[in-house]
Amino acid sequence: MKMRKKPLTRIPGNEITLTLVAILLFFSSAYSQPRYGPKEEVTAPAKMNLKGDTLNIAFISYANPQQVAYDSEFIVNFLEPLLGRPIRGFITLDYGSSIEAMRGGKADIAFVDPLAFMMAHEQIGAIPLLLEVYDSGQPTYHSSVWVRREGSVSSLEDLEGKTIAFADQVDMSGHLLPRDVFRRAKLLQGDRPEGEFFKQVYFAGGDEQAIRAVLNGFVDAAGISQYAYLLLRPEERDQVKTIADSIESPAHLVMARKDLSREIREKLMEVLMGLDWKNAEDRAVLNKLYGVRGFSTAHLSDFSEVAKIAAHHGFVKNPKLFSK
Amino acid sequence: MNLSIDELSPNVHSGIRNSSTWLNGRTAVIFLVMIFLGQNWSKAHIIPRENLHPVAEAYRRSTFILNLNPVVWETVRKDLNTITKYRNEFSTAGGENLNQQHENGFNDKSRREVFQQMTKEVSVICQGHLKAAEEFFEDSEKAFEEVKKAQGVFTAFAVLLREVDPGGYYRLGQSWLGMANALGSPGLLGVGVVEADQRGFERAIQVVINYLERNFGEDFNPPKGKRLAPWPVHSPTYNPSARVSVRLPPGSNINKQIPRPRQILNMTARGVDESETPLIAVGDMAFDSALIFGEPMRSIGMSCNNCHNKSITNPNFFIPGLSQREGGMDVSNSFFAPHANNGHFDPLDIPDLRGIRFTTPYGRNGRFPSLREFTRNVIVNEFNGPEPDPVILDGMVAYMNEFDFLPNPYLEKDGRLAENSLAAAKRGEKLFHKPYPQMGGMSCASCHIPSANFVDHKRHDIGTVKGYAPNSLDRALDTPTLLGTLWSPPYFHDGSQPTLGAVVEWFDSTYSLNLNSKELKELTTYLETVGDGTDAYEDTVYYLDAEMEEFSFFLSAYEFLESKNLQTPLNLTFQTIAFEIRNHQWELQDSQYRPILGRLAEIMDEALAANQSGNVEEVRSKVAEYRNLYANNVEFLK
Repeated sequence: MKMRKKPLTRIPGNEITLTLVAILLFFSSAYSQPRYGPKEEVTAPAKMNLKGDTLNIAFISYANPQQVAYDSEFIVNFLEPLLGRPIRGFITLDYGSSIEAMRGGKADIAFVDPLAFMMAHEQIGAIPLLLEVYDSGQPTYHSSVWVRREGSVSSLEDLEGKTIAFADQVDMSGHLLPRDVFRRAKLLQGDRPEGEFFKQVYFAGGDEQAIRAVLNGFVDAAGISQYAYLLLRPEERDQVKTIADSIESPAHLVMARKDLSREIREKLMEVLMGLDWKNAEDRAVLNKLYGVRGFSTAHLSDFSEVAKIAAHHGFVKNPKLFSK
Repeated sequence: MNLSIDELSPNVHSGIRNSSTWLNGRTAVIFLVMIFLGQNWSKAHIIPRENLHPVAEAYRRSTFILNLNPVVWETVRKDLNTITKYRNEFSTAGGENLNQQHENGFNDKSRREVFQQMTKEVSVICQGHLKAAEEFFEDSEKAFEEVKKAQGVFTAFAVLLREVDPGGYYRLGQSWLGMANALGSPGLLGVGVVEADQRGFERAIQVVINYLERNFGEDFNPPKGKRLAPWPVHSPTYNPSARVSVRLPPGSNINKQIPRPRQILNMTARGVDESETPLIAVGDMAFDSALIFGEPMRSIGMSCNNCHNKSITNPNFFIPGLSQREGGMDVSNSFFAPHANNGHFDPLDIPDLRGIRFTTPYGRNGRFPSLREFTRNVIVNEFNGPEPDPVILDGMVAYMNEFDFLPNPYLEKDGRLAENSLAAAKRGEKLFHKPYPQMGGMSCASCHIPSANFVDHKRHDIGTVKGYAPNSLDRALDTPTLLGTLWSPPYFHDGSQPTLGAVVEWFDSTYSLNLNSKELKELTTYLETVGDGTDAYEDTVYYLDAEMEEFSFFLSAYEFLESKNLQTPLNLTFQTIAFEIRNHQWELQDSQYRPILGRLAEIMDEALAANQSGNVEEVRSKVAEYRNLYANNVEFLK
């Protein structure tokens, strides 16, 4: 059986970005195909360390590949003179493809989420370079447990025997982080939340479907991104509220192939970290980079807590790789 | 693409020589993106356009229009074509396109038949996608795409079902979730794979199909005596007496403009301290308040400011079935005020209110000599409001009387062109003053008198109105001013002329003036020069700060209203500020200050409650609390 793609929802960003995400997700196939990997044939790891060799960057498309293609072309043109080498940007529709491309030497740099990075680090030694900084000014985000504002649920305990929607089984902010909220509250112990604490668990297919399920009363709660309310229409947003937040997760990030030269990595980091959102020209560049406010240095230890959560669900085998 | 609001504040509307280049370069790209996205700005109290499946959009729009009197069949025809096109993907049974069935034209008797048929067709389309999803089950990606399409079509009915059949809506919601759930997960790099559940998937689909078939299948027959809507009369949980919310149809746009038009209040321009003009503050508040009107204006949240945004024409305003083109609406309709419906579709261009104190009489046909009477009619008869409090009316008139024309450096005090005007404009000015035998020896300037703000305060039939009979005498219209017109297209009472050039060509053609192309351009240039003005739009980066400042201005009337014990305007002031703050809360740049906004709105709620219970001290305390909290956070509330 051919499996459905995993939904990619990238919510952190300013409000206009989020509105676009909401629109575009509706009309596009924003689901990944992790089982099949990139369509291009994978070749031996590239030895792209010499000046003049092409740097391959994998951009992830969350909703609209054409828009990302347009944006990535802008970024490639921006980076080429600053890095002093040709750059090839290409689009992947899912994190699995990005990782496989890097494994096969087709990608030197990739934009991924924390879960994909941790798997990439464990499996192919990918190196964390930069965390994205969001409107909050922090290179982190968290998930929340959302309920209806006028409903009877005001605490996690109130959800016993009730229904909850997550975005997707394989989703850091849309499942693993919010589920961890219940585990930390000692309301969930085992691997099967259904029947143990909740009456029923749904995987709605995305953050928007999950938050709308709460809004419409189809479920009692949703465990999704802290920014999920921005996927609702303005007049609907006051009808939902959060009752608990997850731990902070490191933000989405830029990772590098393990044998990419230190010189190139440091140069790329210098360029991207030099972007100042307050400067109009830099802001134009950041807007093409998923609308983030900036970048900060990423360290393996940033992932120490979320690695434990990923390990609990079998995505990471050795969380000590990310120990502080 | 990520668009920041500060990219939308080009200082391009300044002076006639710049006016032709305002849509240039990057700005043009941004505006094109705006158009593509349905002007989906999420700031400045902008209501984003709903992104509906085309079938759901067509159905909901047509349902709205079929309940109007009269029905604008032209729009309904387009929507029927859309529905039929999608229906034919699944079944051509049920006959040809409804438009073809009614090729001799629709009439009032057609409404019910059309609604009945299109409801069944929407049901067929939704079921078709669900059956396709079942067929694609082995390819869960395709199956999920079909589920999403079915769900998109289902939104045609969903908004009503949620209110009148909450039990059924809940069961259907569970089923939609069940479908997504049953498709499993591919995992990531082979980890986290969840196998699909075919039986669960089919079971969830069947619940939706059964509901649709039972309620909107071949036997669908909308109940008589109720408005046309997809009432699920065969659902055991249907509540026929449930309250149904008022909604504008898809395709509506009542959003205010971005960038904001520049409003010049005469007293402010003269340096007057706004806190010393309480009556004007009351008027400003009422002009921005949906609460002076009745339903459905209140529920929709529409105020004078939506149509006359910052006093000028809102060129984007559009409501399907009530507007013929953007920037206009039939204000004697069956939706906003059934009691005052005149029964025919006569949409009017929204007039520019700049300089309104100089342009009496009021109404496109000049039927109201007084601005006060005109305003009362708008509130009570056009928009179903209660009889307004005299102070509210006085305030609104005082406020509107402050609306100034934009300064125009190309005009002398007597309305003649200044020396610095373009030569072509000066040649056009001569044409403007030239008497034409074809116009009974009159010139353009005979009615648009330059020394009198380009009006003559009279009504004329120039041939733009279609009368009820060849010799009917129902076509005269008030002479509109030409000042500021460059910034308030379209033109004529019905907005039928998109540009000033088109207006000139209309006169040339209608009156056989025989102007050559050079003269046409010169006359157009003259009109554009007269209609120009400096800085027509604000150069604003953020919008909330300006709104918050305006709310403080509203509240500046408190001492005056309290001293006169004017309870009704006070209540309205508190309610309006609270309502507006909540509407604007999502514009806040830094979300950590949202609780401050929330508290400000709450204080106004508390002030209202105190005022209603006659607790003057408490009201005073709440007003002081609001002012202090705002003053302490003003720099963050933007």
